[in-house]
Amino acid sequence: MREAIRLALVVAAKDVKAELRSKTALLSATVFGALVLVIFNFARDPTALSSTDLAPSALWVTFAFAAMIAMNRAFTVEREHGAFDGLLLAPVPRGALFAGKLLANLAFVGVVEAVALPLFVLFFNLDLSRALGGIVGTAILATIGFVAVGTVFGAMVVRTRFAELLLPVLLLPFMVPPLVGAVQVTSRLLADRPLSEMLGWLRILAAYDVVFVTVAALVFSSVVDE
Amino acid sequence: MPPEPPINGGYTIAAYVVAGAILLAYFLNLVRNSEK
Amino acid sequence: MTAAALPTPSLERAHAVMRRGRVISAVALLGIAGVYVMALGFTPIEARQGLAQKIFYLHVPAAWSALLAFSLVGIVSALYLWLHDPRLDLFAASSAEVGLVFAAVMLTTGPIWAKPIWGTWWTWDARLTLTLFLFFLFVGYLSLRTAVHDRHERARFSAVVGIMGMILVPFVHLSVYLFRTLHPQPIVLKPSAPSLPSEMLRTLLVSTLMFTLLYIGLVTLRYGIGLAADAREERDAA
Repeated sequence: MREAIRLALVVAAKDVKAELRSKTALLSATVFGALVLVIFNFARDPTALSSTDLAPSALWVTFAFAAMIAMNRAFTVEREHGAFDGLLLAPVPRGALFAGKLLANLAFVGVVEAVALPLFVLFFNLDLSRALGGIVGTAILATIGFVAVGTVFGAMVVRTRFAELLLPVLLLPFMVPPLVGAVQVTSRLLADRPLSEMLGWLRILAAYDVVFVTVAALVFSSVVDE
Repeated sequence: MPPEPPINGGYTIAAYVVAGAILLAYFLNLVRNSEK
Repeated sequence: MTAAALPTPSLERAHAVMRRGRVISAVALLGIAGVYVMALGFTPIEARQGLAQKIFYLHVPAAWSALLAFSLVGIVSALYLWLHDPRLDLFAASSAEVGLVFAAVMLTTGPIWAKPIWGTWWTWDARLTLTLFLFFLFVGYLSLRTAVHDRHERARFSAVVGIMGMILVPFVHLSVYLFRTLHPQPIVLKPSAPSLPSEMLRTLLVSTLMFTLLYIGLVTLRYGIGLAADAREERDAA
């Protein structure tokens, strides 16, 4: 078990180091995220729609698309260097491999979200003094779920011709329940609503994470092995 | 006397035609593939 | 562990399956034509909704067929990952394609029905939203299949998507339910009233039966086409 954890961390560290060297995924995702936020800001009529009404949706759409770009690039870079096949030949237990890839993807998406959030506060003029902890927590909760699914799908599409198109087509339906939950909780946090109003959504988010991380871990070996 | 039902038969015709067309088109497509 | 190749499928066997599929589908289509006559000519007009309510007799069975198709894709996908029988993969692929067609029927008749009844082309009600998801899941599933060329890999990947899609559905349902209890949508009329007069119920049941028969026929036909393609491929390779 210990060995498995160590292997997972090694796999994750390798991915993160590779990305830190090339920075392509992080850069494209971050720029994309910033652009989307700017567009959302200009696209609304400030007299009709207050920023607190629009903000949660804008934030989560940004997170969702930037996350998809990050996950896609991460796998593509690896394919280009042929590193993935090498990794599969090594006797790494598939559970550890999945955990490592999941951690690395979470790190990438986490960085993108961490960059997008201050931009979001800036562009929408928000006061996060009370809501910040909740928003960060919700972000972690929602992100784990769809990144788990994205890790499995990313491994599948990496060798196909239209991977950049195929990943969103496959992944978007799976992102909807976590996104809906996250937007609902975020908008309540921003409106300073009591916790009781968010519990239902938080439970769905948590259940989604438990179920899909487990399922993803179980099917990952079917994806990478003969 | 109860109110007359609304006049919306056009929608019904449209829906029935569209549904039938889709099913028929797919079936004929399969038949064409099966006879190759 | 590699999947066994299909047992040398004689082309004749594939043709027999296709023939069966064609016959069943043709019978079902005739049955549906009969339903058209039944629904339009021999079923009472609903007082509040008028003629447009009759779209219900196509819309609901189509939704049911799409859901049936989807459930089978999920279950058969799980079986494939367990048993590795390539026939299971072919069945799942056939069911997905047919399911997509039924979902398309549902998604076109839905708005055409909604506009006169609710005044809006789309409502995010449970049934329409779920079917929209099924549609996108089918599209994703089938797109993936066209993109993966190795048949074993394609079968495995499809099975994974099939299983995960099946698990996703309850979450979508939960989210829609929770959303609607918090944001009740104004419902002008409730089309599928709990107490359907017996003639309407009868038409609905007959239609559902015919749509189910059509599902069986189309999947059989599609499956046969797949068998024929594999048989030809093996023959050409020999």
